[in-house]
Amino acid sequence: MSREKDAANYAIVFFAVLSVLLLIFPASRIAHTARIVASYSLYPSLHYGARYGHFVRNVPANFVALLETDQENRTLREKVRDLEIRLLNASASVAENERLSKELKLSRSLPWAGSWARIINKTPADWYGSFFINKGSDDGVEVNDTVLGMQDDKAGLAGRVFEVYPKFSKVLLITNSAASAVCSIAPSGLEALVEGKGTWLLKVNYVPEQSELTEGAQITTAAGGLLFPAGVPVGKVTKVYPRESFMNFITADVTPAVDVNTLKEVFVVRRHLQREIIAAAGAER
Amino acid sequence: MAFLLEILLYLASGTFYWWWTQNLTFFGLAPNFIFAAALSAAILAGPVKAVAWGFFLGLYADMLGVSMFGGYALTYSLMAYAVYIVKRHFDMDSFFSQLVAALSLSCFCMLFYQGLSLVFSRINPTGLKIFLTEPFLNALIVPVVFQVFYWLKRRTGIL
Repeated sequence: MSREKDAANYAIVFFAVLSVLLLIFPASRIAHTARIVASYSLYPSLHYGARYGHFVRNVPANFVALLETDQENRTLREKVRDLEIRLLNASASVAENERLSKELKLSRSLPWAGSWARIINKTPADWYGSFFINKGSDDGVEVNDTVLGMQDDKAGLAGRVFEVYPKFSKVLLITNSAASAVCSIAPSGLEALVEGKGTWLLKVNYVPEQSELTEGAQITTAAGGLLFPAGVPVGKVTKVYPRESFMNFITADVTPAVDVNTLKEVFVVRRHLQREIIAAAGAER
Repeated sequence: MAFLLEILLYLASGTFYWWWTQNLTFFGLAPNFIFAAALSAAILAGPVKAVAWGFFLGLYADMLGVSMFGGYALTYSLMAYAVYIVKRHFDMDSFFSQLVAALSLSCFCMLFYQGLSLVFSRINPTGLKIFLTEPFLNALIVPVVFQVFYWLKRRTGIL
């Protein structure tokens, strides 16, 4: 019993001293921290709840407004982008409308009957050689119909229909190296052969050396060439080459009246070439 | 094994006290379960273990408090020692003696803690309402806790 009492005495002294030491030393803050750590460790939901709850409670109103502004900004940017695309489309439509109006007005003044066609395909490998149009035999297009382009409010020779399909046709450009046209050179009316070179220039060939071929002379199709109606502007002489010693004619470079690079639509002149040839033969007789 | 069970009982007592004070208070009042556990342990256990239980339960109460860390540890350690002295002369296993012990020791503990707070932190942590009602609440709960602890002691050999 005495031993038990001694043990009790030692125990109470020990724990009392320990308690007093805890009381004396500033342990409250440490205990408080330990309690918080223990609470957070034992109750993760409380920990995260308190953390994010605090975060959410202290989110300033202007930050929320900033987020809303950002969302609004994104929406408006999308709208602006959409409107820019629409504007571009509208501008293109307006430009096309103006161009078509001019061309339509011009085509009414042309002495030939025909129809407008849109260029649907250009081949990079044959840029100055040919292109396709969206009119074919279903629209009355025939082989060798004359194809005119419009530039600077004037019609000019672009080429002729080379292949015809039901829905589209292939046009052989006058700039094609295989294309040629009998032309008349102003002002003398001298007839010469204008040939394509496969580039953006044409070449006028077989001009007698004594003729007065000057730079700037206008060239139009001649009546002698049945492939094209007479009087269609072909181009303008830009450079005259001197006669070669072994040849008795001169040549010149011609700038086409129509720049094939800027063509969007062409006017296909209905020729009915067979009937025209028969009519021409009858007239001769 | 018994030691582990004692640790488990200690943690369960503390947690239950925390849960009760958080969820089952009426008009801000609830029995001090830590006190009841400390008194029951003091009645049942031997002197050293009783004081240790008082100390550690008090430490738990201090941990839940905001100031004067060690105050409850000292209070309940002394209470356990006092119970050890008293139970040599009185039968503390009876309901009535537990009731009286809980009433009186609650008051003494509060007064002592109040005194400690005056000495160490000069604040008044115990309001008059608590001082007047909590001893009775403690007196009601101590016999219940005692029976639980007694049952656990018989079944597991702890305390």
